[in-house]
Amino acid sequence: MLKSEIRERRVTVITKVLFIFVLFFFWEYLPVWTGRDKLFPPLSRVLESLWQNLTTGELLQHIKFSLYLIFSGIGLGIILAFFLTAFCMISKTFARIMDVIVSIMHPLPGIALLPVVMLLVGLGAKAIIIIIIHSILWPLIVNSLAGFRAIPKIQLELGRNIGMSEFRLIWAVMIPNAFPYILSGLKIAWARSWRALVSAEMVFGASGVVGGLGWFIYKTRYFMDIESVFAGLISVIIIGMLVDEFLLKTLENKTVKKWGMSA
Amino acid sequence: MSNLLVQDLVKQYSLEGKSFTVLDKLSFSVDSGDFLTILGPSGCGKTTLIRCICSIEEPTSGKILLDGKPISGIGPDRLMVFQDFNQLFPWKTVIENVIYPLKLNKVSGDIKTLTRRAEEFLDLVHLSAFKHAYPNQLSGGMRQRVAIARSLALNPKVLMMDEPFGALDAQTRSILQKELKSLWRKFQTTIIFITHNVQEAILLGSKVMVLSLSPAKIKYYKKNPLPEPRMPETPEFMALWHTLYDQLDTQRY
Repeated sequence: MLKSEIRERRVTVITKVLFIFVLFFFWEYLPVWTGRDKLFPPLSRVLESLWQNLTTGELLQHIKFSLYLIFSGIGLGIILAFFLTAFCMISKTFARIMDVIVSIMHPLPGIALLPVVMLLVGLGAKAIIIIIIHSILWPLIVNSLAGFRAIPKIQLELGRNIGMSEFRLIWAVMIPNAFPYILSGLKIAWARSWRALVSAEMVFGASGVVGGLGWFIYKTRYFMDIESVFAGLISVIIIGMLVDEFLLKTLENKTVKKWGMSA
Repeated sequence: MSNLLVQDLVKQYSLEGKSFTVLDKLSFSVDSGDFLTILGPSGCGKTTLIRCICSIEEPTSGKILLDGKPISGIGPDRLMVFQDFNQLFPWKTVIENVIYPLKLNKVSGDIKTLTRRAEEFLDLVHLSAFKHAYPNQLSGGMRQRVAIARSLALNPKVLMMDEPFGALDAQTRSILQKELKSLWRKFQTTIIFITHNVQEAILLGSKVMVLSLSPAKIKYYKKNPLPEPRMPETPEFMALWHTLYDQLDTQRY
């Protein structure tokens, strides 16, 4: 790395850290100075509440439930997207029909579907999982298809030339070649489903079960426990960042970036 | 001994409803251990010809026999080295790119033997130091070397090369020409090498062919009379260069 690059990076880190400190400073003192700390609690009280909610185990219950919902939804969504994409690759007719379905469904926010889903499957985990699947299925299909269509012809010819069967070609050449697109589909899918989940939980509440993070935020607001509302919001941000910045970015660095491939 | 026999090979494409003949009844044979270089004006069908031999494309009619038997679909007995640098798997390291086709084709031996074989071939193209690098970390010339090592390690009956050095700078090109020639001497692989470059065709080929433009017919097909080492400055080399160039040139108008 060049010296100027090291300096550039150092300045970036210092700027970001400084900004966070300034932000925290104002978060801590501005509400007190303006006398609005009842509605907008200072950082220390939010952290205290976060700690309490975590140690009593209540918040953890909600987090666990949210994670259970989102990973079930994403898991099922990926499986569904895999098969639908595969059918599109096999049948041109199916691909054409899928194009229409995607065009119709892709712009439709999951939350807008809530009333219909509620009528069809009732309240509860099932409905939320359906909303999550809806929010990730279309971007996944769109991206995977784009990925498969962008495979360089030479890679397929090479695969056949060195003796691959058509079946092996799929997982040894086509999927790795389409992977950059699939990964960017996953990133969009995560961002969308996490937002969809928290919103859906607020509307559904906790019918019969503990309820997730969205419900926690909604419930604590109902009791005017503003500190806990913020504690819930912080949890949403932290989990979102953990998956985005660490899980998905690490995956990207260890695969697509390392191989010099890009979508 | 005749290794590859091409008989009345015809390839037609339909372009906007019109049928368009690229290869018109080509017949020739290549002996085992030949290094055949094929020259021809752009778009004459050189690439189509070797893609037919490689079974990447189906000929419209005609026969292609390998060791007396009709060729049977695409497979590792007729390997292609492309011009495109993107002919390695980007997610595999250099050595994995060489080992994988060996494993796929169940070349005898356990993984240790295969690794040793891969290392040996990488050594031959002077890439031992880069065996754990990923293709995107290599220059274009190095990637072409890996592709050549990978192909030779599979010991094909015919190795086809479609302007493999066409996108390289002059210096790298000249180094790779020498390397390829010494590899050919060592392994006696039958090679069909396509090029635009008359000098390259003379330097490398034990036989040289010139194809004409649309449809491709054989204009010239002879043994390369020049002894080794071939020096471009010698009068014999210049004379042959002009002969071949004229064959190419008359086709341009």
